[in-house]
Amino acid sequence: MFSWFYIEGILILVGINVMIVLGLSLLTGFTGLFSFGHAGFMAIGAYVAVTCTMQLNVPFYLAVLIGGIAAMIASLFIGYFTLNLKGDYFCIATLGFGEAIRLILDNMTIVGGARGLPGIPLDTTLVNVIVIDIIGIMAMAYLIKSRHGRNMIAIREEELASQAIGINVFRYKMESLAISALYAGIGGALWAHYVGFIQPLMFQLTKSTEMTIMVIFGGLGSITGSVVGAFILTFLPELLRELANWRLVFYGAAVIAIMIARPQGMLGGIEITDMFRWIKRTVTGENRRAKAAAEAEKEAKTELPGEGGGES
Amino acid sequence: MSVFLQQLINGLSIGSIYALMAVGYSLVYSILNFSNFAHGGVIMLGAYFGLYALNLLSLPFMGALVVAAFAAGLVAVGLEKIAYSPLRKRNAPSLYFIISAMGASIFLENFVVATIGPTFKTYPEIFSTTPITFGAISVSRIDILMFVIAGISLAILVFIIEKTKVGLAIRACSYSARGSNLMGVNVNRIIFVIFLLGGMLAGVAGMLFGMKYTVYPQIGVITNKSFIAAVFGGLGSLPGAVVGSILLGLIETISAGYIASQYRDLIAFSLLIIVLVVKPSGLMGKITEDKA
Amino acid sequence: MTDVLKLEQVTKRFGGLTAVGDVTFTIKEGEIFGLIGPNGAGKTTIFNLITAVYTLTEGKISFYGEQIAEADPYGAGFVNGIKRRFAWKPLKPFQIAEKGITRTFQNIRLFKKLTTFENVLTACHRSANYSLFESILPRRIPIMNYVLPWSKTLWREETELRAKTEELLKLMGLWDYRDMVAANLPYGLQRKLEIARALALDPKLLLLDEPAAGMNPEETLALMDLIRKIRDDFGLTVLIIEHHMDLIMGLCDKIFVLNFGKALAEGTPAQVQNNPKVVEAYLGSAEEETEDGEETGEGDAADA
Repeated sequence: MFSWFYIEGILILVGINVMIVLGLSLLTGFTGLFSFGHAGFMAIGAYVAVTCTMQLNVPFYLAVLIGGIAAMIASLFIGYFTLNLKGDYFCIATLGFGEAIRLILDNMTIVGGARGLPGIPLDTTLVNVIVIDIIGIMAMAYLIKSRHGRNMIAIREEELASQAIGINVFRYKMESLAISALYAGIGGALWAHYVGFIQPLMFQLTKSTEMTIMVIFGGLGSITGSVVGAFILTFLPELLRELANWRLVFYGAAVIAIMIARPQGMLGGIEITDMFRWIKRTVTGENRRAKAAAEAEKEAKTELPGEGGGES
Repeated sequence: MSVFLQQLINGLSIGSIYALMAVGYSLVYSILNFSNFAHGGVIMLGAYFGLYALNLLSLPFMGALVVAAFAAGLVAVGLEKIAYSPLRKRNAPSLYFIISAMGASIFLENFVVATIGPTFKTYPEIFSTTPITFGAISVSRIDILMFVIAGISLAILVFIIEKTKVGLAIRACSYSARGSNLMGVNVNRIIFVIFLLGGMLAGVAGMLFGMKYTVYPQIGVITNKSFIAAVFGGLGSLPGAVVGSILLGLIETISAGYIASQYRDLIAFSLLIIVLVVKPSGLMGKITEDKA
Repeated sequence: MTDVLKLEQVTKRFGGLTAVGDVTFTIKEGEIFGLIGPNGAGKTTIFNLITAVYTLTEGKISFYGEQIAEADPYGAGFVNGIKRRFAWKPLKPFQIAEKGITRTFQNIRLFKKLTTFENVLTACHRSANYSLFESILPRRIPIMNYVLPWSKTLWREETELRAKTEELLKLMGLWDYRDMVAANLPYGLQRKLEIARALALDPKLLLLDEPAAGMNPEETLALMDLIRKIRDDFGLTVLIIEHHMDLIMGLCDKIFVLNFGKALAEGTPAQVQNNPKVVEAYLGSAEEETEDGEETGEGDAADA
């Protein structure tokens, strides 16, 4: 039953999901913006890339990149109009945009309309996916460690204070949205060339929420978490085939439970490098000493009378 | 001309259902500053509750409506207790609420798929389908009924909010939850009440929707349009929700009738974006300036 | 001396409520200027107006002669609302910060989940220049510094930021806590960290909103010295809101007293202390003062 071919298929799917989840992680996990419409970016990436490979004979890697860039450009357009809006308005707007993209594609008979587009060359291989994933993860890791990443995290933490230290909140939200759309578009393009057939119905709201669930499981604010989350939640459904109907029921309940009990998911805020450092420090006994120092600090921490409070 | 009037009436009818949905949603937002994305799930359950009340319990129409309303209201309250209350107690950031709501909506939708099944179900014919004709216009009885029921429900809601003590407390909370708390209002009870009211409206809306169209687990997704209507009219404003919904219903049916039915949603959505760009808080929404 | 900040007939109305009414004062370079008044008098609102969190209803605010805030020129009404939306582009808070005005907050708004070091490091971002595209490129591995041309610049800029952060933390006495998550810092240090973060932008005007709240007299004295030191070392001007009278009277060159959003008095500490109106509304006379010189609850028109 578990032939290599079967497992390879799942691994490719994992790799594709990792790409999309990474992008979404940047937007939701690191910048604190919730998007209901990411499936729309996947769709744009998929359709544009497919047009490139099928109609324009563009080489695969380039087509995928172009698909991603197309999604990114769409996100700039969307972001310009919506990122000024307050939180909930922004969410509804992304919901609308996701649906709008799907509807537009439904009506574009050139690319098959609602019937879909069959016969896509199956160019996605495990090697492709792994290479693209590695580049994607590395780029994201560098981004987070740079001042752009830090600014996005600051926006997530305290938007008002970020403004006060000179962060152009609108611009960094746009950057975050653009990169996440780029990743989603690339993911969508890869997916199209794996499944061999795409139709707008595949890029519905449910797809967006599935991806978001992976981010939440893995943990907000952690690249490692997103990768692990994507991995587990792509494999799990395959192993629990029989319970397919109940899978999403469980996910829904689990999401609520996570938000209540452990909002940071599995690895929220923790990266694999942190884990290595922790191991090293445990081995050298540094952890033990630091913990003792922190305990002493907490004892000495005076209980000061309340905060400034009230109006000024 | 008669075609136009026809569309107008259709639009009003569907708009009134959207209004029921959007008001419940806006009610929660006006007090908690939070978008209950699971509202669609409650609406969907309302449709099923009504169906079962009619079929299994053999209740008359009004009885089934009442059952659907109360059952949906209870679901909404339960939802609040399980998914939102713990977060509220811990002052969680608003992102967590949105995620929890999303989880709840997925849970509800798929729970129904897993238990009852994804097949479409239809309401039994309670009212004759022969339309009533006024001259050249024919209106289906159901449309008139929906409009009337929606109107009555909203009127009852307005009465509660404007004329009762509970309504006064609700209005107080919508201005300042903390202030109301200090003045002796039991904010938790008020939250219970608004979720109950919103849920009941959702139940009625769901049943009406199910009667006009069909009943299936993904109704919750379709009703996202009511969210769009609420945002369009301005979140936090109940009149805004009604106005936005009626307008949305009208725009939908008119564009479906005169332009093309596929572009119906697209046009409605583009209008939403235009309104939001020009007036970021919707048509009648309340503007809140961030306090430092 | 140059005028650093000038408020002229500044008014802010929220619907029917006038939070700040016709306030005018000028702060000169190098001054430590105090803004005091009972709770609800409008002090933080003035901060919010200066930093463009709120928009002005009337009046204007200038910074080193340049107007940074003007009144909303459009009135009420739907059409006006549309005009306001498109035709009026007041400065945004981050632009005010870019111009050289930074602040701390009454309710501490640190990046709670980040460490002390990261809090200040984030604030240093304006001292570096690399673009988004450059930020995703590898730069950490030393060899890369020689292989890839951009690497060296990136790494150099990042190192500069870190050096600056280190300097600032050491100055504020926070270096030992650099790896501590901000939420775990003792309260007094959290306030200092907020100040350090505000300094990271090399401001010319520093707004402090109740920096001594919750501090005991010892810490308050230390804070006074620190503020004076910052003013001298960094060559800035300070505008401070406080309720600790010791700190205000001991530290400020000039004081402005606000009551119900309107000006009540202005002058040197001595002048203000002896002003009968101020005493009646806010300070209380000498016999009624509590030990550490804080305002009494007696007879003052607090809590508007």
